[in-house]
Order: sequence, then structure tokens, then C-alpha cells
Amino acid sequence: MPSQPPLPPLLAPYVSTLPDSSLTLISSILGATSNWLVLRFLYAALSSASPNAAFGLDELQNGAKKKVVLVSFMRSYDFWKTEAKRLGLDLTRLADKKQFAFVDGLSELFYAPAATATPASVSPAGMGSSPRTTLPMRSPPGAVPGRSPQPVRPTATAVRGNLAKPAESGIAKKLHFTGRGLASLDALEADISSVIEQQKSSMEDGDELLLIIDQPDLLLAATSPSMGIGATEMAEWITGLQQRAHATVLTLATDAPLIHNASTMSGQLATPIETEHAALAIGLAHRARSVMQLRTLDTGAAKDVSGVLRISRGGGMITEEDNLEEREALYFIQRDGGVKVFGRGES
Amino acid sequence: MSFRKRNIGLSPGVDRNAVPNATAQPVPESTPGIRPSPDDGRPTTSTGTRSLDNLLAGHAGLPMGKLLLIEENGTTDFAGALLRYYAAEGVVQEQKVHVIGVPEQWGRSLPGLIGSAESLDEKRSDRRKDDRMKIAWRYERLGEFGAVAGSRGAPTTPGEQDAAAKEAPAFCHAFDLTKRLTHPSITNMSFIPIVPSKDSPFPAILKRLETAITSSAADTIHRIVIPSLLNPTMYPPDACQPANVLQFFHALKALMSAHTTRVTAMITMPLSLYPRSSGLVRWIELLSDGVLELCPFPHSADAMATSGAATSQEEPPQGMLKTHRLPVLHERGGGSDQNVGQDWAFILSRRRFEIKPFSLPPAEGDTEAQDASAAGGMPKKSDLDF
Repeated sequence: MPSQPPLPPLLAPYVSTLPDSSLTLISSILGATSNWLVLRFLYAALSSASPNAAFGLDELQNGAKKKVVLVSFMRSYDFWKTEAKRLGLDLTRLADKKQFAFVDGLSELFYAPAATATPASVSPAGMGSSPRTTLPMRSPPGAVPGRSPQPVRPTATAVRGNLAKPAESGIAKKLHFTGRGLASLDALEADISSVIEQQKSSMEDGDELLLIIDQPDLLLAATSPSMGIGATEMAEWITGLQQRAHATVLTLATDAPLIHNASTMSGQLATPIETEHAALAIGLAHRARSVMQLRTLDTGAAKDVSGVLRISRGGGMITEEDNLEEREALYFIQRDGGVKVFGRGES
Repeated sequence: MSFRKRNIGLSPGVDRNAVPNATAQPVPESTPGIRPSPDDGRPTTSTGTRSLDNLLAGHAGLPMGKLLLIEENGTTDFAGALLRYYAAEGVVQEQKVHVIGVPEQWGRSLPGLIGSAESLDEKRSDRRKDDRMKIAWRYERLGEFGAVAGSRGAPTTPGEQDAAAKEAPAFCHAFDLTKRLTHPSITNMSFIPIVPSKDSPFPAILKRLETAITSSAADTIHRIVIPSLLNPTMYPPDACQPANVLQFFHALKALMSAHTTRVTAMITMPLSLYPRSSGLVRWIELLSDGVLELCPFPHSADAMATSGAATSQEEPPQGMLKTHRLPVLHERGGGSDQNVGQDWAFILSRRRFEIKPFSLPPAEGDTEAQDASAAGGMPKKSDLDF
């Protein structure tokens, strides 16, 4: 079995050239997850520097250096690290070189382990600025000019947060969901943008920052409209983050129950989780430059096909000359992690 | 199999070269009940059901740190049987079993231990040996890591199997549903009740799980067992609010990924109350690492089911099993496993829960025709004798 190139040639144009302020939406379903595609985006953005360095061409020649901030709500850093290693990306090293930053939306989002949890009395729910006070500062040392000092932060909390756990290398920040409604979203946004700004601070002109948010729809699903978070708020939240990055890649779940139950045609009474999710996903698809849809084969499972990748233009195509070619291809994930992307009938 | 050199004989000695590669992962060799996956070497533990182990995408067990969701249609409790095997296996392997939401009575009704799953298989195959046609003895155990008949799973080689068999003599045990488990470590199980409260019951559960896991010794393996999640007889009405249950799943996932080599979980859910077509259940599935669905045949289908067995010796299947997502495989993109997308049938008997490929029976009329031909159609030998 010949080993596949880390970036399948068919896929390369779609993952490596992302125009300024563009939004790329990756939609996945239960049986066709998007992690491999996110990894390809990571690879396209981060690996380009290393081969050039090997050839002796410095960044002087290849001006645009890319940086990536990955926000993951569903998967741990360990997962991304091991999977990226299969592609030859050392995320920890890249994080040290400030090319990559990981924002952990999994481990302490809703339930902080006792070791690092701050007493609830410090942060009365509902206050806008309170969630920030509970955050342990775990940013790597370095110049952080973009950040304003926060007078509200009790120093004891910060120190405790730092002492409680030795800083895990590579994780720039762990997100915490506290409070209710917009205030909590704002706090998350502030945390993520602080990481983005930190990355930007070491950027030179022409450098691009790619923001990847893995399954922000979890936030929507695991809260409720009664908590003041709906599709509109989420979409605004995403816009807020999008503004700070050169290009944004989002992954969303688009399983049939989450999209189609909301329509009146289905005859079922839609629950808020379904209507809000559908509104968010469809709204984002209209704003996106391109939508990369992952699904399983309609005809059932096959031994040499993992699923179907459909790349189509979203509602937010920026310019006429942006010639994004729409296409549908099959993909196959091999046991070694390599990916084949091929047209129907080819192999 | 183009990855293997063709001119090298299939001797175990040669193939063993591949094994150190797989076992190189940091698996504490001494931990009972843990073995490296034949697929990529990550530590796995048994679900207590051998054929379920073999279904899990070539890992021959449930990878550590993963959460398996088993959904069941109808009012039967096949999923509960799987869960009891899982809990019993944990007790026998002296892992710490945490059961959520049910009284301690549940723990006393775990199925009794018969022996290791291999020994049961040996016995069965002895019994069947005579009427089994031998094609090539050398391939007989070839599919054994993925031992469900017909699935010659991952690139397993005889060498790997032998090594694994020696390494982990009792990875999976066999249990008898009619007996009760008596094991010294059964008292070690912890039962986490659902405290009735106005708010979500889940934070309290998480807190207890978290303290139990962090306060235990670093080599303790934990199993989290959640029978019949969101069943209204056990859970307060508020529990099925998406905000509550999905935050619980997310936090559980976080907890398991923080202790990724020490925890596994198995959760069952009644689909009749929470259909798969609802957004909530879909999100629960998305948050799980593995999703299996059990569809027992209704009683009226007994006639069909009876003839569903390919031969009269086999027991008729009791239902269908669907694999919607398998641990690790789907996280990485999915698809390349042969177990995906196949139709599976399950049979629960006193001593085993067996999962095997589902095959439609031969057409009904045929048996009559065969009978007729056997009775009078075929000329007897004496008739042909000259």
C-alpha cells in the first residue's frame, strides 16, 4: 500500500488558499466526522514553513507565515497531538514557536475539576466580567502587549490556578463556561481573542492567522434558550471571533435530526435544540465562502470508501474572481491515518 | 495483502516481528484485564462480552478512555445484559466499578463467573468439532482477534494472536446469567445514587466520580456504568433538559480524557422514550465514542427469527445490532473497518451474548422441498445398487 501524501492533491487547493476574512464551514455527521479534514487544514497552514527551511529559503522569501489557533470543544489536546504527529506535525513544538495555539474547550468547560475549581462565591453568576476572574492564567511566558491588565482579578486566584496544575505544554488556555447568557459567551470570546492577540503580537506583516473552531455548536446544544443563548447569539459570537482572524474554519454537526426536524414539513414538534441548531447551521452556511460537507455513502458502507466530501460555494462568496470549483469526491481514511481523496469511479 | 512479503512463510516466528511494535505503547504489563490493541497498540479492556469486543473496530476490546453508548428499542433489556457483563468483567478484573443511578440490588444480580471466555469457546468448539468441515486447519483461528464469524478483521496474523493469548490469558470472561457473581472484590463496587434535587442531578454525580478517580491509586482502572440513562423512573424530569444531560456528557468526556488510560464507560439508553430522530439523542451520540443500537425482533417475528439461523444447530437471532459509531475509528474519520455497515444479529443465551453477521434464511419453501426430497425423492443406495 503506497503511503499517501499528507495532503491529497485534490484537496490541496481547498485547504491551503483561504482568502482574507473568509469563513469555511465543515459539516459532519455521526458516521463521518470532520477531524481528519481539520487536521488537513492544520497541515496546510503549519507545514509550509518547514520544507522551506530545509531548502534554506527563509521566511524572507516566503513572506506569508501562517499561524493557527485551534479551539476544540469536543476533543482533547492529546487527540490532536497524536493525530497531527501522524502527519508529521509536532504541535507542542509549533506551540513553542508560537505558530500554533490550542484553546481547550473540552476539559474544564462545564465542570472544572476540584483541583482547579475556584470557589463559586468569587464569581456570582450573571455578572459579565466575573468569569474572567476564575480563569487560571496559563499562557506561556512572553510578550503580551495586546492584553490590558484586569483589575478585577484577585491575584490569589491566578496564583492558585497556576499552582494547582503544572502548565500543560501546548494548551494556551482552557475555557470555562460560567454565568448565564451573553455574559458567558462574551467571557469565552474574550478568552479566545486574548489567545489570538497573543499570537498576533509576534506576527510580522503579511502573516496570516487561521482560526479553527471545532464544533462550537456544542455550546448551543448544551445551553438552552432560557439561558439566553440562541442561534443569533452564537452567530454573533462567531462573527466577533472571525473579525480577529485572517480566515476562519468552523466545524458543525449537521445530522438529519438536527437540521430537518426544525422544518414544519417533518410533522414532528421541533424542540429548541433542533430549531436553534438548524438556524445556526443554515445561517452560517449562508455566510460561508465554502461549505465542505462530509457524509457517509448513500448506498451503504464500503470497504474502501469512508465517505463523501462535497465542496460547494457558500452564500458568502466574496468576489467574482474567487473561482472556487465545486466538486464532490470520495474519501478514504486508511488505518495509518493517510487519506485518499478521489473522484467517483477513480481509485 | 500486498504489505507482506510473499516469499516468507507464515510461521509465527517471523510474524512476531510485528508484535513488539504494537506492544511498545506504555501499557503497564502487569495490569490485569488490560491489553494493547492489535490495531494500534493502545490499551484496551474487555467489555465482558467477547463478540462485542471483537466488534470494536479491530481493537479487540474497548479502548481506554472511551465511552460506549448502547441504545435499545422496545421494552426488552438486552442492553442491560451487556451492561451486567461489562460490570461483572470489571469486578472480576478487580477494577473499580462505579454504577450510577441504581440501588445496590443491581450489583447483586451480576451474572456468575464460569471461566475465561476462551475456555468456554474451547468447550463449544469441542462440541461442534465433529460436525464442522475442516477446510484448512491453519486458517482456523485466523480471524480470532476479530473472531466474529466471517469477519477477518484487521491484519491479524497468527503470531500476534499467540502472543496475545499468552500475554493475557483471561482478558475476557464468560458469565452465566442464571447464576450470581460471587467475587471478593464485588464489595468494592460503588453505587452513586441520584439525589433528588431541584437542579440537575448530574453535577453531584460528576463530583463523586471525579473525586473517586483522582483520589485512587494511579494504577486503578475504573469502569463507569450508567444503566438506562434518563429513564424517568430514576431520573428527575429536569435531567433530560439538553442543558443538563449534554453538559453531563461533555464533562464526562472531559473527565475521561483527563484520565485517558484509566477509565472506560458504558451507558445504556431506552430509545423508545428518547428516539434517535430527536436532536437531543443525536447530540448524546455525537458526544459518545461508540454508539450501538439494539433492535430486538418483536415476538410476532419469532417464526421469521427461527428460520433466521442458517442451520438447525444455530440458535435463532433475537434481534439486530447496528453500529453507528465505533470508538477511535470514527474519531479518526471512520469507514475502513469491515465491521461497519454490516448487518449484525445478536443472540442472548444463558451463557453468552453473541454478535454475528445477520443473514437471511433460505427461502421458506425450500425446507419443505428438501424434506420431500429426503423422504422419497432421492433414490436410496440400495435402489442404485446393481
